Amino acid sequence: MTGPVGGQPDRRGRLRRGPDRGRAPAGADAGGNAGSLATMLGLVARGDEAAFRSVYDKAAPAVLGVVRRVVRDPAQSEEVMQEVLLEVWRTAARFDPSAGSATAWIMTMAHRRAVDRVRSEQRAAARELRAAVASIEYDQVVDAVEASLEHERVRRCLAGLTDLQRESVVLAYYGGYTYQQVADLLGVAVGTAKTRMRDGLIRLRDCLGVD
Amino acid sequence: MRARDAELHALVGAYALDAVSEHERARFERHLRGCRQCRDDLHGLREATARLGLAAAVAPRPAAREQTVQAAGRIRQVPPSRYKTGTAWHRTTQPWLARTSMAVAVALVAVAGGLGWHLSTMQDRIATMQHHDAAIAQVLGARDAVTLTASVTTGGSATVVMSHRADELVFTADGLTRLPSSRAYELWLMGPAGDQPVGMLPPESHGMAGPMVVGRLAAGDRLGLTVEPAAGSLRPTSTPIVLVGLGG
Repeated sequence: MTGPVGGQPDRRGRLRRGPDRGRAPAGADAGGNAGSLATMLGLVARGDEAAFRSVYDKAAPAVLGVVRRVVRDPAQSEEVMQEVLLEVWRTAARFDPSAGSATAWIMTMAHRRAVDRVRSEQRAAARELRAAVASIEYDQVVDAVEASLEHERVRRCLAGLTDLQRESVVLAYYGGYTYQQVADLLGVAVGTAKTRMRDGLIRLRDCLGVD
Repeated sequence: MRARDAELHALVGAYALDAVSEHERARFERHLRGCRQCRDDLHGLREATARLGLAAAVAPRPAAREQTVQAAGRIRQVPPSRYKTGTAWHRTTQPWLARTSMAVAVALVAVAGGLGWHLSTMQDRIATMQHHDAAIAQVLGARDAVTLTASVTTGGSATVVMSHRADELVFTADGLTRLPSSRAYELWLMGPAGDQPVGMLPPESHGMAGPMVVGRLAAGDRLGLTVEPAAGSLRPTSTPIVLVGLGG
């Protein structure tokens, strides 16, 4: 297990894209091992509550992690995290392994929802004030080893990006900013921010894939 | 490649990072349907952004787990899609509605505590709102579906289509007496274990009130309709104007 969500197949270079485009099937973590997230989702789709608990255990820390980065406010973040998990429960039957891994499916939902929450929330200042007051009791370190392994791997790969690529990707993903806002923050043209995001992600994908 | 396509194609990174406006998101998703290359690229980039998320993992409050599992038990799941587009799997058929319902479910779970009765009512409403059509179709299409009709003592009639197999019924009423705005019709499951509020009957349209979907039927339950203050009541405060025995 490479992180709270995901699985062993990450090590096989699912994200690698060689000249022959010979990467593993997109849904590599859908493989036959009984405990995989994709297998679990299949059971969840049939209303299996125990499987849902397993999915929760695997996915909730990562979902909460990304939501916390974007939303900041701990109480709201927990709410969004629960919404995401409930959406997973509700739509598990729609998960399509040929369109990507279960992890990516869930994390895409999580990030999208976090960003939607922030953008619909006009009172950013109020949000941050509340977050500052409330943050302490919610902060807990999870499985330190797993989290830090993944953290370290991602940090290393981020370090391999150009400054502009890295800043664009990080501001967009963890900050929840649009590419126009990122362009403003970095003082570059919008077209530049847009292409740096794409190039940065491609580089990140290749780096993480050849782990 | 046309210039416009090239421009859209360049958006794939920003799109994968959700760093686009609503308008651009919609535009890019239209583009995706016809751009195989974009879909392939997007899938790869999404695996990468997922890893950015994994690296940020933190532990949720332990209590959040049971709350979430409990809330899930009240949410009807969607059936598998007949259309596997391979692209838009993050899209649900009614995204805003689902989002709203889910937010309500979570909020309700959060305030649950001593308000158990209220929770179950509201969650029934959520389930109703969310999967109305699917649930109705399921009941109406069930092989063991039976239809019961009864007169409402204050005017109008009530129709119940029930499936024991689906463990659900659909309630509708027509010709009900119009109520002042301070009052409303409330539906109840009245059984040996007590009276459970099902929810407020939505106002009539086209002469019909409902449909309301009622699930988790228990042996000996009867379905009752009462007139209550517009905000609804905890327990029936007036005599039922119609009472339908559900058998079983």
